[in-house]
Amino acid sequence: MSTSMTPRSSVPQQTRPDQAVRGNGHGVVAAPPGVPQSPLEASSRRSRWVVALLLAAALLWTLVPLIWMLLSSFKNRADVTSATPQVLFAPTLDNYRNLFTGSNNLGPYIWHSVLAAGISALLAVCLGALAGYGLARTQMRGKKHLAFWIISTRMAPIAAVVVPLFLIFRGIGLIDSIPGLVLAYLTFNLPFAIWLMSAFFAEVPASLEESALVAGCTRWQAFRTVILPLTKSGLVTTFVLCLVFAWNDYAFAVVFSGPNSQTLPIAASQLVTQTGIDWGQLTAIGTIVVVPMMLAGLAVRRWLVTGLTLGAVTGE
Amino acid sequence: MAHVADSSPALSRSAPTRSTAPKEPRVGFEGRMMTPGLILLAALSILPFLALIAMSFSRVRLLGGVRLELVALTNWIRFLTDADMWMSWLRTIIYFVLTVGLEMALGVGIALCLYRVLRGRNVLLSLLLLPMFAAPVIVGLLGRYLTDSTFGLYAWVLRSLGYTGDILGSPATAFAAVVLMDVWEWTPLIALITLAGLSSVPQSVREAAAVDGAPAWMTLRYIIFPAIANVLLVALLIRSMDAIRYFDIIWVTTNGGPADATKIVPIRLYETAFRFFDLGYAAAIGLAMLAFSIFIARTFVRLLDTRGLTR
Repeated sequence: MSTSMTPRSSVPQQTRPDQAVRGNGHGVVAAPPGVPQSPLEASSRRSRWVVALLLAAALLWTLVPLIWMLLSSFKNRADVTSATPQVLFAPTLDNYRNLFTGSNNLGPYIWHSVLAAGISALLAVCLGALAGYGLARTQMRGKKHLAFWIISTRMAPIAAVVVPLFLIFRGIGLIDSIPGLVLAYLTFNLPFAIWLMSAFFAEVPASLEESALVAGCTRWQAFRTVILPLTKSGLVTTFVLCLVFAWNDYAFAVVFSGPNSQTLPIAASQLVTQTGIDWGQLTAIGTIVVVPMMLAGLAVRRWLVTGLTLGAVTGE
Repeated sequence: MAHVADSSPALSRSAPTRSTAPKEPRVGFEGRMMTPGLILLAALSILPFLALIAMSFSRVRLLGGVRLELVALTNWIRFLTDADMWMSWLRTIIYFVLTVGLEMALGVGIALCLYRVLRGRNVLLSLLLLPMFAAPVIVGLLGRYLTDSTFGLYAWVLRSLGYTGDILGSPATAFAAVVLMDVWEWTPLIALITLAGLSSVPQSVREAAAVDGAPAWMTLRYIIFPAIANVLLVALLIRSMDAIRYFDIIWVTTNGGPADATKIVPIRLYETAFRFFDLGYAAAIGLAMLAFSIFIARTFVRLLDTRGLTR
């Protein structure tokens, strides 16, 4: 399948021949074999141009800022702030080199980001898998209310969560520490992971556990050895999305972190000073922050729809 | 999902008493699985929520340890009588409608185009998705770079089209710029979700319409849109709730300015709390935001429920 919809029985069989017809890469809406050229075919030649043009515009709009950031990160000081855009220039690694030498060395920031985002995502996946499984299988009364409470903690405005958390963290000494950041990130990653993993577990037929129980497993063994391996893609997707959310966070980090825990987005914003911005270094940091998450995101693209709609669309 | 396993004899070894009444309200295996996550989540959400309520009725002192001094309704009265605050809500709503509206329109448009592409669709989609994974702070700072009046690429393009003003320096254009930055980042999400919806529309129905000579817009209006309405709803509501949450882009580009033009509620809350350290008042604003987002989330879940999309 070309998209992330999981193949389910509810998807009508008619899509199958269509896949085959589409496979030959001819015609916009190809007629099924045997039916003469559809009336759409005539108008499609014109509309094909329109489609191509629109997509080209969308690509341009999407990619130009990213390409510009990448290019600028290899420019020297004069080219970065040149009044006429420089497309051809002598590339230099100075911006990246300056990031790792000198007073504000980026190393610790990267380390803090990796630690805080990584641990938070890992914890979210572990606890989320357990709780998600429980949520998917439980028959308890008030299950809907429980599910709503979980998701509402994820939907809560960041700014409204940060304020009381700041007070609590200050009280128990979690300001400017990696555990503090991990906990802060869990406020949005944990509900997300629970909800998402429960969507993935709901896809696994309960009869599989039944067979495992008949075969003599305890429920925990059935979960560990039969069900969990079947949701490997769910675990990876959840981990990656949690990682991206935490890695990209600025709102929590700017409030809770200090010299011992500042993350990459903070490093980027600190380049903005009263005396101006070193755009060369900034575009270099931008590249360092953005590229790994893009690669991670694309790696789980097949399951992105499930992930980003919290399973609501897959269930269709 | 039916709890078949409960009635099977094999289970009686691990849970002998549960075989007859699967619905009895006691902590079973599922409950034990949920416990660690839910306890942590409760600690991370209920405690701050209670703190938020307490703070909204207090003046918060931070010097020499945290102290709350009860001030009754002072913060709330201030909240309701603050004219600037009402302007911020208005701005928030405009910002919200513009970003989500543009994202929906463009996202659905891109998805419809992508759906007609046969070769290279996956590569195209991957490229179009990239902004979603960019940190909003970087998006904002990059936006500042691109719109800088002396060396920004987009400012240069606009200059050659005849516009010479400072984009982030005047209210209307600054507002438009922060809206477009958000649109740049999140339109791909809508396109991705819509494309998934389109892929589930049976091809035979579309062909039947085509054979009957239905014009493209009619196929779109009467066949495609009804078929993907549910998916669009999910996309709309997911995006709505995230649009209320985020503020990073504005915080690093305009900081609410110029002349408060981009000061939406989250920005005001942030500066109230962490620039003026008026945490009590910030808590009142936060509670109002929370109520607003829960209202939207409720609507979301109810709509999905009536359409049978939740499990």
